[in-house]
Amino acid sequence: MKADTKVVISVKNLHKSFKLPTERAGGLKQAIFNRLKGIRGYTEQKVLNGLSFDIYQNEFVGIVGRNGSGKSTLLKTLAKIYFPEKGSLEINGTLVPFIELGVGFNPDLTGYENVYLNGALLGFSNKEMDAMYDDIVDFAELRPFMNQKLKNFSSGMQVRLAFSIAIRAKGDILLLDEVLAVGDAEFQKKCNDYFAAIKGNQTVILVTHSMENVRKYCTRAILIENGKIVKDGSPDEVATAYEKLWD
Amino acid sequence: MAIPNFLYKNNRVLLKELTKTDFKLRYQGSVLGYLWALLRPLMMFAILYIVFTKLMRFGDSIPHYPVYLLVGTTLWSFFTECTNQGIQAIIQRGELIRKICFPKYIVVVSATLTAVINLAINLVVVVIFALINGITPSWTWLLVPVLVLELYVLALGISFLLGAINVKYRDITSIWDVCIQALFYAIPIIYPLTMIAETSETAAKVLLMNPIAQIIQDIRYCLVTDQSITVWNYVGSEHFFWKLVPIAIVVIVLIWGSWYFRKKSKKFAEEI
Repeated sequence: MKADTKVVISVKNLHKSFKLPTERAGGLKQAIFNRLKGIRGYTEQKVLNGLSFDIYQNEFVGIVGRNGSGKSTLLKTLAKIYFPEKGSLEINGTLVPFIELGVGFNPDLTGYENVYLNGALLGFSNKEMDAMYDDIVDFAELRPFMNQKLKNFSSGMQVRLAFSIAIRAKGDILLLDEVLAVGDAEFQKKCNDYFAAIKGNQTVILVTHSMENVRKYCTRAILIENGKIVKDGSPDEVATAYEKLWD
Repeated sequence: MAIPNFLYKNNRVLLKELTKTDFKLRYQGSVLGYLWALLRPLMMFAILYIVFTKLMRFGDSIPHYPVYLLVGTTLWSFFTECTNQGIQAIIQRGELIRKICFPKYIVVVSATLTAVINLAINLVVVVIFALINGITPSWTWLLVPVLVLELYVLALGISFLLGAINVKYRDITSIWDVCIQALFYAIPIIYPLTMIAETSETAAKVLLMNPIAQIIQDIRYCLVTDQSITVWNYVGSEHFFWKLVPIAIVVIVLIWGSWYFRKKSKKFAEEI
């Protein structure tokens, strides 16, 4: 393995479950009734079932698995959006999560205003945004539209803008959830160039269904099934194992 | 546990951007825009003024009654706006909370700060109105910001507490609407407290135990007229303990609200 030996993420025996309401328990009335009748009002759904792994500096790790296997929950737990009920999670360095592109984008604000808002959510000050604003707009090729409200942008234009901001984010670890799944051929190419550029220089964790991308960019892959790691190894091995899931 | 969250050093930037967004979006698509921040409370005041001073003659015994009334309605609209926005904040920003990790209180504070900006604009109107009405400025005016802060702290405490419960039980929004209605009549906003005091001194004292009543009466005392009944001049000095009840309520609500919000905020992302 060509990756450095410094551990940046250390996960030990991670457990996470959700309480799913059985009846409509969204109101006070139902909650009181349930309590009176001795019904718990929810069933527990185990999503992460004791995961353990270490991620080393500058690794490009692909996380794969079927729908509902716990990939996104794992990513959200790493991003500290969810809190695990058991197990430990240690992160050394700053972590930039992209659960979705364009978080906080508001259709009633102009393109210009949205850039600053999204930037603030990614941890940039206004000064830093001023410095990189022109680069962002040029990269997205949206200069004539920046004073228009975002709702008048096509969805492709919105994604381009969001991606242009996202790639400015500087962090030791990038968490990406299926960001490759959107956009046209030209946008895909920009994504590809970006991934090719950061591969080996940056720790990345990528959740994806595309085995092509796993083989192309990842230095390591992890296959998750029912909240457990079933395979952790080279991209080729894991991609083959993934494809065999349906045999 | 140290949380190496890259947002920590940028909480202020985030708070500023979210507040700016809230404020911009509030009057989106209206012709008069920000002017509504001024017009709405003034129009509300005009209605109450016509009904309660011209038709029902509530304020004949109080000097500068129109200003006295305006102070009450301005602070009351601030309190209702602040709590309504604050309680809804977590749900309205649910999309953010599910996608990114940041201290959740920022969302509540940014939602309530819009109300603070509106209040600041409206207080300028109150001061202008007071000067036109022939009230001479005095040193006691400087106490007003402290009292406004007390009201904001109370509204924030309530927003934290009820906002956190509201994530799971949306009934809170409806319940709070009713509470607001009840409070409006339980606080001497449209009627002078002297009217209550004439029939029952105890009732007037009980009403003053409500921190909102205490604050409004204090601000009226500082800004408009020393005819305003306050906890300090009305509750006898032998009951010193009772004078502190309103402030104690504010402190308790803030501590309780923050504690509960902090405890529940870990689960917001999955419960929204």
